[in-house]
Amino acid sequence: MKQPAYHISDLEHRYNRHPVLSIEELLIRPASITGLIGPNGSGKSTFLKLLAFIESPTAGRIVYRDAPLQPFADAVRRDRITMLTQEPYLLKRSVADNIAYGLKIRGETEQLTDRVAQALNWVGLEAGAFLKRPWYELSGGEAQRVALAARLVLKPRVLLLDEPTANVDADSAWLIKDASLKARKEWGTTLVIASHDWHWLYEICDGVLHFFAGRVFRTRMVSFIAGPWEPADGNVVVKKMADGQIIQAERPPQAGALALVASDTIKVSRLPAEPSGEVNAVRGTVTRLLLEKSTGLLIVTVVAGRSTFTTKVAPEKIAADQLVPGREVAVLFDTTAVRWLDSESLGPSS
Amino acid sequence: MNFLIEGIQQAFVLLLTGDGQTYSAVYATVTVSGGSMLASLVIGIPLGFALGYFNFPGRRQVRTIVDTLLALPTVFIGLLVYAFLSRSGPFGEAGLLFTLTGIAIGQTVLALPIVIALTAAAIEGLDRQLRPTLITLGADRRQLVLSSLWEIRHGILAAAVTAYGRVMTEVGISMMVGGNIKWHTRTITTAIALETNKGEFAMGIALGLVLLAIAFAVNLSVSALRKRART
Repeated sequence: MKQPAYHISDLEHRYNRHPVLSIEELLIRPASITGLIGPNGSGKSTFLKLLAFIESPTAGRIVYRDAPLQPFADAVRRDRITMLTQEPYLLKRSVADNIAYGLKIRGETEQLTDRVAQALNWVGLEAGAFLKRPWYELSGGEAQRVALAARLVLKPRVLLLDEPTANVDADSAWLIKDASLKARKEWGTTLVIASHDWHWLYEICDGVLHFFAGRVFRTRMVSFIAGPWEPADGNVVVKKMADGQIIQAERPPQAGALALVASDTIKVSRLPAEPSGEVNAVRGTVTRLLLEKSTGLLIVTVVAGRSTFTTKVAPEKIAADQLVPGREVAVLFDTTAVRWLDSESLGPSS
Repeated sequence: MNFLIEGIQQAFVLLLTGDGQTYSAVYATVTVSGGSMLASLVIGIPLGFALGYFNFPGRRQVRTIVDTLLALPTVFIGLLVYAFLSRSGPFGEAGLLFTLTGIAIGQTVLALPIVIALTAAAIEGLDRQLRPTLITLGADRRQLVLSSLWEIRHGILAAAVTAYGRVMTEVGISMMVGGNIKWHTRTITTAIALETNKGEFAMGIALGLVLLAIAFAVNLSVSALRKRART
């Protein structure tokens, strides 16, 4: 087996004694794209900072290729393990100097201007117009792209992206996504991307990690159902949706647990739904179809009330039932398909 | 109010005719303030960086002490330095009392808290994202410090200008440690004090204007520096 890019074991991280991340075992393959999904504060950013060796974990090991590394290790600098944050910091210098910084401090100054101009080009900014521009004359999207160019110019072996498109316009987001993927294609860069844009992640990633309350688990595609849940008869709780529809689930193991439904336990059917035994039949609207390149299946997104359900459907079924965006459909799943996540019940992380 | 107009006229005469005493005082002022600024920046910037950057026990107390020292009266510094440098003082053997070096030492004590406090404040005001950004772009520890200092170059420049203004215009240290010796340790400010005592207001005003002219020249070059440093 190929040597993993990262091998994490028994990792614990705390801020002021407050645990923020705990991972028993996790492997990340080289030249893979790993997506990180989870609510704010679930530990994604901390995880990326640890992978970037900006911080050291409170306990446990992060082995990069063949050696456990610490911040400022030579290998971090040599292999250009680099990270882009949600709100990038640009140095108080010109665009050109910002992009050239990483090369200059490594003493790689040959053909500097050409390489900087090329990196700008990768993120869709015209060198002539931007090279000499000072840091304060950039829009949010441009600043984020310049920050990405400053990482790409290094031709990194590992590129860690923390919600790279959260605060930028649609055009910039597209360019940032495109340029990030280029890194893997051209240089075999290992990418780890935290994003709320999970459609994008499911489309491009080789694997997706779910973060919840500082725990990590590798899972199939899931749909989260936000509470509140109310107790009903027997061992059942119900969620009343905004439009008056009801979802039933088994009683959660503890209050505050998060409900999720695995995509492969969800069926989408045209209306009227044929009776098929599922307890939950929620009416919603198809909002998006997305091709999953690795399987050839289509990822169907249905919005019902304020909840979003996703499932994978064969193209033939899409055609037969006309499950196209705008179409009203039924989302069907069993009471037992609703699983509960709390800090105790998370599955293994690798 | 004639002495005002006379003073302005005399200032031009003194400068344009190359008056020996005036230029001696200008030389003493510029040398002493230049030397003390150099010393206070070399010592103060690293200390200010450390104070603003690192979290160590007692940091807040040190900060309070430095802030208090901003209000050090010049005559008090003069007194202390005099006591240390006088024959019976611990550094009496060095023979620095009534020399330009002696004044520069006192002025360094005056400038140091300003440089330290303003550098620390600039470092504390740095974006929290700077450190991870520099590390992730590949900076080692030394480059991390140097690049962080470069990020606050405007703050350091402001600290230097503020300290320079205080150093150049002080009288207490120059008078007590320097002794206002003609052709030797007489600075512009001690000369002004003397002329005022003599009732030579016009001469005093002329010297004051010369001091302002020097300050103007310094600020002009700083402003040019700042403009260059913007990109």
